[in-house]
Amino acid sequence: MAIDKVISEKRRRQCAKLVDLSKRVIRDAFDRFKHEELAIAWTGGKDSTLTLWIVREVCKERGLPLPKTMMIGEGDEFEEIHEFVQRIKKEWNVPLEICRNEDVLRAANYTLNAIVKVKDLNERNQAELKRIGFEGEEFPFEAESYVGNHLMKTVVFNEFLERNKIKGIFQGIRWDEHPARFNDEYFELKKGEHLVPEHTRIRPILHFTEKDVWDTYAALKIPYCVLYERGYRSLGAKSTTVKTSDLPAWKQDLENTEERVGRRQDKEKAMEKLRKLGYM
Amino acid sequence: MAEIISPGCERGIPGNVEMPLSVERLPNGNTLIADGGDEAGFGSEVVEVDPLGNIVWRYGEGLRFAHSARRLKNGNTLITDTTNNRIIEVTPDKRIVMDSDEWGGGTGRLSDGSHLHYPNEAFELQDGTLLVTDRNNDRCIQVDRNGNLLWSFDRELHHPHNANPLPNGNILVSDSDGNRILEVNRKKEIVWSYGDGSPETLWWPRSAIRLENGNTLITDSKNHRILEVTPAGEVVWKFQTEHVDKFYISFATKEGTFLISCTDGHHQVIEVDRTGNIVWLFRNYRRPAPIYARLTNGFFKEIGPDGVPKHWVLATRLSEGGGKVIWDTNNKPNPCPGLQYDRPGALFLQQSIAVEPGATYRIGAEIKTVDVKGVACLLIDFFDSLGGSLYHVITEMPSGEYFSGTNDWTHDIFEVRVPERATFAELRLFINDSGRVFMRNVMMHKV
Repeated sequence: MAIDKVISEKRRRQCAKLVDLSKRVIRDAFDRFKHEELAIAWTGGKDSTLTLWIVREVCKERGLPLPKTMMIGEGDEFEEIHEFVQRIKKEWNVPLEICRNEDVLRAANYTLNAIVKVKDLNERNQAELKRIGFEGEEFPFEAESYVGNHLMKTVVFNEFLERNKIKGIFQGIRWDEHPARFNDEYFELKKGEHLVPEHTRIRPILHFTEKDVWDTYAALKIPYCVLYERGYRSLGAKSTTVKTSDLPAWKQDLENTEERVGRRQDKEKAMEKLRKLGYM
Repeated sequence: MAEIISPGCERGIPGNVEMPLSVERLPNGNTLIADGGDEAGFGSEVVEVDPLGNIVWRYGEGLRFAHSARRLKNGNTLITDTTNNRIIEVTPDKRIVMDSDEWGGGTGRLSDGSHLHYPNEAFELQDGTLLVTDRNNDRCIQVDRNGNLLWSFDRELHHPHNANPLPNGNILVSDSDGNRILEVNRKKEIVWSYGDGSPETLWWPRSAIRLENGNTLITDSKNHRILEVTPAGEVVWKFQTEHVDKFYISFATKEGTFLISCTDGHHQVIEVDRTGNIVWLFRNYRRPAPIYARLTNGFFKEIGPDGVPKHWVLATRLSEGGGKVIWDTNNKPNPCPGLQYDRPGALFLQQSIAVEPGATYRIGAEIKTVDVKGVACLLIDFFDSLGGSLYHVITEMPSGEYFSGTNDWTHDIFEVRVPERATFAELRLFINDSGRVFMRNVMMHKV
């Protein structure tokens, strides 16, 4: 299954160049770290799957297996992503570890929106809540709340690094996906501190735009999750992710619309309103 | 336990100049400064400073965000008391001898029935009448000392600032929201202008003065620069500092140097020569708001005696006299605070927090809005070591979602990388125009 998009020879060469640049970053990472100290963060989404695919190419070059691959299970995933991940895992022989915060899931009785009592959590999770400044006694179990996001993603991520003694982890982040990413670097050392192991985040596809990503998928016939065909552009938790259109993601107006569409209102319109307030 | 990194000081200490606005060099060599006061609305005053920085005279009684002070020929001082919507004349021994609140039989009304609305400048003309810039009425007017309206220019102006008289009888006025400087004659004809309305040329200019050589010196506030422009519209001199600062008023001294008020956080008046060297500087500022080691009382369990959440500051300086903190008492397990506001300015509930330059922080809260006509959001500003904001305009500041209208509790999470020159952050709940916004469970941590 490949994307039904015609890619010109020129564009194909451009995509190959972008991939080459990513490969250089990956080779550099392979030279800097021991193979068993490297890992890949995968979500099943287009960016991390592209990252995984390119890392795999470099592994083939060097006759190495794929580094340990982690995926965060938040307890609110799309069935379609699950199926895609299982298929790719088998086809590419991905050493996949699905990581969950079992302690929180258990306390929430594996039920979305259930109330979790802080005192029912283990010491580590209680310490994490303290670290982020949570002062309540309970919270609803939602993956995309501040608390939920931290416990279900950040904590799980840090625990994975710690457990496997990972020193470098590949991430599928791009400069153009969010203004907050503009200053990200290919290699970023995160210093170790309380509850956070020291590690380097490696971002081989930083330079890809959303359009580059889809053109590369089409040009190199890389498999992708079927949800993108149905109009999803950016995949998060099932209950909070919405379709942006009925068109496949790559046929949407990628350059003039937001990839991560706000759930309430167009921020740009509000910005305009603020700009008109001269005295701000 | 609240851990405080920098203690701040008492609010409204006389002589603590928080936000210098108008500035002029007096014939005796001293400098007269109108201080708009701190972010919470305290400490607005007028100070006269000698060349060594000693405060030799001050007046602060009842002032709210005073924008201008001009020394009159008779030795009195004409003060534009902006948020109080009035102008007053005070004697050296601090007696008020004229108060626009007394006009119209004590209603403060002018002879045309209108009331000053957010005035920001007043000059005395040769004949003893006054030239007033009446910002929110979009006009500059000439009135006598009894409030009789003698002349008014009310076309073409959008939130004007600093109308000042020229020797030829014309008036130079900053059409701030129109991004232009206008010279207007008595017949209300525009005889000269600069700025094509685009922010590239001028962005929110707030003062212009005519120099002896016939050129015009303009404080191009949001472009953070001072421009000298010839009558033909050619820019022949520019001044900018490495710091980001929205200059407010410039003044040409006899010596050919320029006094410039740095409003947007740098808390200082500088005097520069034509080479751009700072030849004199006045700064007497200590930040009143403490800086906390980390976000403190983000769950609002503690309420201060003034009804404001403990460790948070209600910033009213830009609120044009409106707005207050309200509480949603139905919220469980604790009541949570919000802001209620009813006019076009801006109101903030904020806290200053120490941050590590270059680090990334995640900020999150739950936000609820009711009938917000403008915008409400959670935003974060960063400041350099002089207390100047590192962003040009509010729209550049990192923020969560922008909310309008009515929204039930919504998770709002955003990440921000701290600029290299930042020394501390201010996390703010913001609202403009009318409506209510509430927040709860506010958290912030380094990722």
